[in-house]
Amino acid sequence: MIRSTLTIAGKDLRLAFAGGQGPVQAILLGLLLVFLFSLSAAPGDLFSSQQGMAIFWLCSSFAVVLIFSLLFRFEEENDTATALILSPAPIQSLWLGKTLAGAILLGLCQIFFFLAAVVFLSLDVQGSPALLLLMIVSVDVGLCVLGGLMGAMGHGQGAKDTLLTIILFPLQVPLLLGGIRIGTEVLYGALAVDVAQWFGLILAFDAVFSGAALFLFSHVFRGE
Amino acid sequence: MSEAEPLLRLSQVGHFFGSRLIFKGVSCTLDQGQIMLVAGPNGAGKSTLLKVMAGLLEPTAGVVTRQVAHKNMAFMGHQTFVYAAMTALANLEFWNALYGRGLKEKAIIDLLDRVGLKGFALELAGTFSRGMAQRLSLARVLLIEPELIFLDEPATGLDRASQAILHGELTMARQRGAGIVWISHDLERDLGQADMLLYLNRGQMSYYGPGADFDLEEQA
Repeated sequence: MIRSTLTIAGKDLRLAFAGGQGPVQAILLGLLLVFLFSLSAAPGDLFSSQQGMAIFWLCSSFAVVLIFSLLFRFEEENDTATALILSPAPIQSLWLGKTLAGAILLGLCQIFFFLAAVVFLSLDVQGSPALLLLMIVSVDVGLCVLGGLMGAMGHGQGAKDTLLTIILFPLQVPLLLGGIRIGTEVLYGALAVDVAQWFGLILAFDAVFSGAALFLFSHVFRGE
Repeated sequence: MSEAEPLLRLSQVGHFFGSRLIFKGVSCTLDQGQIMLVAGPNGAGKSTLLKVMAGLLEPTAGVVTRQVAHKNMAFMGHQTFVYAAMTALANLEFWNALYGRGLKEKAIIDLLDRVGLKGFALELAGTFSRGMAQRLSLARVLLIEPELIFLDEPATGLDRASQAILHGELTMARQRGAGIVWISHDLERDLGQADMLLYLNRGQMSYYGPGADFDLEEQA
């Protein structure tokens, strides 16, 4: 299963970068959002950490939709999905591979989003960068688990992007709230007690949706 | 697997899409080294039957028994299953890794040579013509060395040279003992190669028997 997962993730990353399309669209959209939000403040005014984190996660949320839409489009062009289903690789490794590839692409996008936020929104990390990274990874896991499952749900459907957006965004809310809340505290450098609770919520979300996706993906992707 | 056990057995298999009957009462077997042709008019349910046989669709009724593991089955259809943004070589390397075949690059190049694509190994599959993409699809099938092959009009859009390669490779697969289920729209051309024929018409199996006994003119 691990070998199949890595093979599928490697193939998806190769395809994502080969076409030059890959994460470029998501990065450009995110950068545009950060830049536009930076214009909403008067010259000399600073953005709060909470505003900065909210904009960062907004960019990430849009990036997830674009990335997973792209990853599942790879299997539609010449119906390679059928060949993947027929292959001896466990169907769950397809979900895991796409989730892994999506997470790597999302992480790449977030480097740009964060640097842009530092430059245009004057974000300043006063707390622990390690904790900030841990929070981003925890939220990213949930976002990509959902992205992989929802991408499969929209697979082969004309209104895929609409479907992905309508279902994905509401489900992301707990993750995004946790990301904004913890991120704000870490950026301030003063951790409140409820950070642990938000981490608990995010990790529980990751676990529940990972389990659900492992169980549901086969049915969803096959369209049963 | 015992000698007498067929590779594929269908018992009273039927399929509905919603309330619409596609076919019902299909029973047949496929032995090692046999070619079974599936034919019938447009909309008779041939492609659906093939998907049921291959395990891509669960039948609504009846039982499908396959004596072959997933990794030893191959499907080749209208679609080429090719990643257009990857080279021909990279496409085969991906399937090689996914099937755990462990072939070295030279062996994969040899496969491309067998289908006449050696000179295009490092070209993007997206630049290939329909015939070349279908030949790459055939190379993927050969890479798997399957015991059971499902073909959905594989010769569609192929020129004579490509058809000759396809038929040559299928003959070799059959001699190796592979069972082949083959949907054909050109019975006159393909019937001679078939051991068995399954003819679908109006949701029923109107003929199942040796290809040589089938009266083409009567059916027409």
